Order: sequence, then structure tokens, then C-alpha cells
Amino acid sequence: MSIEIGHGSFLRRIAIHTGAGFVPGMNAVVMGAALAAGKLGWELVGIRDGFDGLLHPERYPDGGLVPLSPQLVENLDPAAAGLLGQSARVDPFHVRQIDEDEMVEEVDMSDELLNRLRAEGIDGLISIVGGQGLTILYKLHRKGLNSVCVPRSIENDVAATMVSFGFNSALSFTIEMLDKARQAAQSARKIAVVEVLGQQAGWIALQAGIAVCADAVLIPEVPCDLRVVAARLKDKITPGRRYGLVVVAEGATLVEHSPAQAQPSTLKASLSPLATGDASDHVIQRSGQAAETVARGLQLLIAEETFPLVLGPWVRGGVPTAVDRQLGLCYGAGAVRAMKAGKYGVMVAFQPPDIKFVPLAESINKVRTVPADSEFIQIARTLGICLGREL
Amino acid sequence: MNQPNKPSALTGTVLNIQRYCSHDGPGIRTTVFLKGCSLRCKWCSNPESIARKPELSYDSKKCTGKKECGVCLKSPFPEGAFYVVDGAADDKVKVNWHLAMDCDEALASLCPTGALEIFGTSMTVDEVLDEVEKDASFYRNTGGGITLSGAECLLQPDFSAALLAGAHERGFNTAIETACNVPWRFVEQVLPHVDTVLHDHKLTIPERHKKWVGVSNERILENFKKAYETFPDADFIARTPLIPGINADEEHIRAVLAFIRPHKNVIDYELLPYHRFGLGKYELLGEVYELDDYKTPSDDLVKHLQAIIDEAFGRSGQESEGAR
Repeated sequence: MSIEIGHGSFLRRIAIHTGAGFVPGMNAVVMGAALAAGKLGWELVGIRDGFDGLLHPERYPDGGLVPLSPQLVENLDPAAAGLLGQSARVDPFHVRQIDEDEMVEEVDMSDELLNRLRAEGIDGLISIVGGQGLTILYKLHRKGLNSVCVPRSIENDVAATMVSFGFNSALSFTIEMLDKARQAAQSARKIAVVEVLGQQAGWIALQAGIAVCADAVLIPEVPCDLRVVAARLKDKITPGRRYGLVVVAEGATLVEHSPAQAQPSTLKASLSPLATGDASDHVIQRSGQAAETVARGLQLLIAEETFPLVLGPWVRGGVPTAVDRQLGLCYGAGAVRAMKAGKYGVMVAFQPPDIKFVPLAESINKVRTVPADSEFIQIARTLGICLGREL
Repeated sequence: MNQPNKPSALTGTVLNIQRYCSHDGPGIRTTVFLKGCSLRCKWCSNPESIARKPELSYDSKKCTGKKECGVCLKSPFPEGAFYVVDGAADDKVKVNWHLAMDCDEALASLCPTGALEIFGTSMTVDEVLDEVEKDASFYRNTGGGITLSGAECLLQPDFSAALLAGAHERGFNTAIETACNVPWRFVEQVLPHVDTVLHDHKLTIPERHKKWVGVSNERILENFKKAYETFPDADFIARTPLIPGINADEEHIRAVLAFIRPHKNVIDYELLPYHRFGLGKYELLGEVYELDDYKTPSDDLVKHLQAIIDEAFGRSGQESEGAR
């Protein structure tokens, strides 16, 4: 639908915003969308800090919306941090507010959001989001929003697309850091156990592990027996090679290390009546726990010293790689193409060799994990990398 | 629907009723946890009590998976609210919390394994008091009774006032646990029926209070002061959840003492060492615990801060331990 908005001669006004969390390359998506929209004679505006620029305009003396003309974005540094800012929570269905009685509560502002978009003359929204954001945009689309999503994921776990932007940058940086960890292990004559991102999907661990020819790679998709890893390390560590490198995804599962299910004590029950875990039972995984568990477990199994290292959020920042810059531009422009074609409630997806528009319903509730028959797993095994399980 | 002229028929949202409690006021007590909180303490150990309405929880340990069950993957459950990840190590159901949030008690009850549950239920004043009455003999022998806790029991002022008045009528001692971040009219409505007020002094500096708890503490302190003066016959016990790195320091303890000591009806100040017992409940609700890397305070630190309190109350450490 084309609309007259009264300022300028634009045929249509659309908006772009980002979900919670930073990945390198956000500006590239914004550039791609702005250039493509400009070419169609459309106006693109950016919403600051998730949805905050629209929902809380009073917080922005210079306005909650940023005009994104092709002239402006041409001078944008694709390597710089996101132009539109960030918000820790981007969920209009649960907005934390302080009410008139000064009490904190979560309110549903989804209707308010749609009304404000309409009031601004915005009839389409491009959202740069990860897995959770896709569901939120799916709900908004069901309420009538003309929504097109761009997948971003450091872990590359968004379903229906082969690559989410942000992944390649994180992968490159992880490889760089693993090279350094190997040097540290070599000089210390120890086994470095490096934890990398990957709560549900082990793409970073597997691909980075292959790139640096790690001794072992442990990923969530392949439950690992530390005895198998220990046996492999014993074979590989010789008088001439007194070090090892183990890459472990933060969500890696160990067959021998599932936490015991204990009943809460009486004291505990009185303090917290519906408690389910022990005080020391880290039900929610803490960053670094996987590296610590594996390092300690291996040290108990073999006569070698280990040391845990955690990359964690380090790899979320930095300069985007060439791949992510291209992908970001491509996804941004692709989102505008989807709108031009009248396709809404979709996610722009890279399914080689094509850019496709996948219904959001097909991309939510799925995690793009490493399949058991993945070529990457075969390659790792061919290179002699231990995956923690006997063949 | 609430009928104001029949207090015993008033309904409130109750999270849980816990019998044989010994930490929530004098004697053996039954603690009634109400739902709804006006704060968002990052260390909260009862996240299931925060929302005012009943809410869904999911315990993956109880789920038997798609192959054996799969009830929630089909109608009448909302489309997409529950799913199974292809290629995952097991076929246990995952929850899309954004789509599952509208599930009610009727839907949750269809889960045959009890993995899906609703936290919170509606109860009348009489229903609660009848449950509390079951331990009446313990209360008589120990001076115990009923404690209203939460979240924030003052957020349901009509229900809380009726419950506590009804408890008094039945001869039970009454206590509440409160942070007092409510309009004064709520405090004024409930406190006439309370024998012991256990109240939280979480942080002293307003900006830091806002950072860790969600709102400033200015109204809270004003309410406390007004309450001390308006209800001289009630016993007030100040409390601080002690969290290293946030408020486990002498400065905070001394500031609280300076605030409470001029008021003779503030009879004690208790420290509640931070614990992590509620961690698993965040997972049941699909939420993230923000204080994941925080540690419990050391015994030495607790003893040191307790000694400052004992000194202010003019008692020896042994007396303090004996009282506990």
C-alpha cells in the first residue's frame, strides 16, 4: 500500500529497528535497506533502541526516530557499532513500567506500538532480530503489523537460513583467539580448554575447531564422554608435543556429568517454598562452567595439567568480516524487496544460491543445530578431531 | 467476584501455603504466600510470586517427551506454544514463552505428567483460614500464627486485611513480610490487624535502590517511618537480604540502624544471608536469573555485621544467637 505522508515526496514510509543484543554488521543491514528503499522512492526511518524510540519518545530530545536517507547511510561506517542503538529488552508485550502508584509492573504495549506506527505513517517494519525476536515479530504480525525480519545470530542457530549475519565475524574472531590459546598451551605445556559460544548449536565450536585443527571439539549435539577425549589426548600428547587444545561449546553435554536431582532441604523449603534446585545446582548455565567442568574432568583422567579459558561475549563485538558486511547489505536490501513484493510475516533467508522469504511461522520454535550426518562432522573426524564419542 | 460486605468470601491470588515455618515471626507459623510484587529485586528467590496473575510454569524434568506423550503439541494448546527441537538429544518439549503465556489452569491440567503447572490460585479468606486452622494447636503452644508473605502482601490490601482480621478472630498471632512499596492507604488498611511487621531495608541510597530493586526507596522509608509512629503497639522487625557486592557492608547496616533505633517498637534487625535456592524456578518460568555470578556471604562477614547490630541493640553475640 502506498501512502502520502505529507512531508517530502516519498511514496511510502517504512521503519527499521534492532532486537536486543549486539552483533557485528548491524549498520550494513541498515545501509542495505536504506539504499534499496531510496531507490524505490521510499522513506526509511530507524527506531532508536529497539522499540523505545517509538514507545518512549519523551526520552529522546532529538526524536525517537532517525531519518535514514541514502545520503546519510552512504557515509555510515559499516564497521562501527549499530547506528540505532540497543535496548536490553525488546518485547512490547512485556514492557516494564512504573505506574502512577510508583509500583513496577509489566504491561502489554503491543497495541500502543501498532497505533504509534500508524500515527507516524509507517506501514512496514524491518526487524533485525534473533530467535526470540522472531517470535515477538510473529505475534505482532498476527496483530496486523507488516513485518519483515532479518536474522542475526552469533551462533548461527536461526532455522530456515543457512547463515545469519554476525556468525561469520564471531567465527573469525574465535579462530583468532583459538590460535592464541594454542600458543599459550604450547608455551605452558598444558591443555587449553576453551569455551566458545553455542548454547544449543555447536557451529562456532565445530567450524572454529576444524579451522585450528583442535584435538577435540565438544558440541551440544554430540553428548560427550570425557574418557574418550582423555584417551585421545593421551595418544596425542607425546614428549615432542606436550600440549593440547580442546574447544568446548558452552552448551556441550557430558554423559557422565548430569547434576544430581536432590530434594530441597527443610530450611531451603522454608526460605523458598517452590525451590527446585540445590544452592550449588547451577540450573541456569553460567558462562565458563563448561570450560571449568571439562578442564577439571580431563585433569582427573590424565596426568596432564589443564587450564580453562572462556571467550564468551568477547566475540560478540568487533569489526564485521567481509562476509557479514555483504550479507548485511544483502539482507537489508532483501527485506525491502520483500516489502515491494507485498510479502509480510516473513524472514529474509539465505538458502544458497538464493535469497528467499520464509514465513515466520516456519522459522520460530526451531533451532538450527549441527545434524548428525553433517559434512562438518565428517570433516572433523577425517582430520582426527575427537568429538567425545566413539565411532 | 469480591463481595465487600462479606469479608470471609473475599478472594485473593495465593501462590502457596507453607506450614510449620519458624523463620517468619514468633513460634510455629503457617506462611501464606500471595502473588504480586511492586519491586523487581535482581536477587529475588521467588520469581514465581512476582506477577499478579497466575502464570504458567514448565518443569522439563517431569516431561516424558513427544513420543510418549506429546499432548501439549496438539490442540487445544495454542499453536506454536510448545515444540520439540529436531535433532536434539531428547524429545522433551520446549516452551515458546511468548506464545504460551496465555495458557490457563484448565489447559495446564491437561498435561498428564504435571510438567505444566500454574503458579497461583484464587482462594477465599475462609478457604485460607481453614487451611491455616489445621495447625492451631501448634500456634497455641508456641505463640505462633499466620504470616502473610509474597511477593508483597500489601498489594492485595482488601484480601490481606480480611485474612488478618479473620485470623485474629480465630485467636491466631498475625505477621506480615513487606517491603512497603505501596501507597500509604494500603499500609493503613492492613497494619491495624498485624502483630509483627517484618519489613525489608534492602538498600539505603535511593539511586542504588532503583538500580537493584527497580524503584527508589524514598516512599518506602516514608511509609516505614509513618508506620512506626502510627502503629506503636505493633512489633517491627527490620530485615536486610545480605548480598555481597550490593549491600553487605557496614555502611548500609549502620544507616539502617540509624533509621530504626529511634523507634522503640522496632524490636530487632535481622540479616538474611543471600542464597541461591530459587535459581531453578527461573528456568521453570523461562526467565533468566540476572545475579548468576553472585556469591553467598561468608560466615565471617555475617558475624561481623551481626556484631554491629548486637552492639546497637545492647546485647551480646550469645544473646543474639540464643534468640534465634
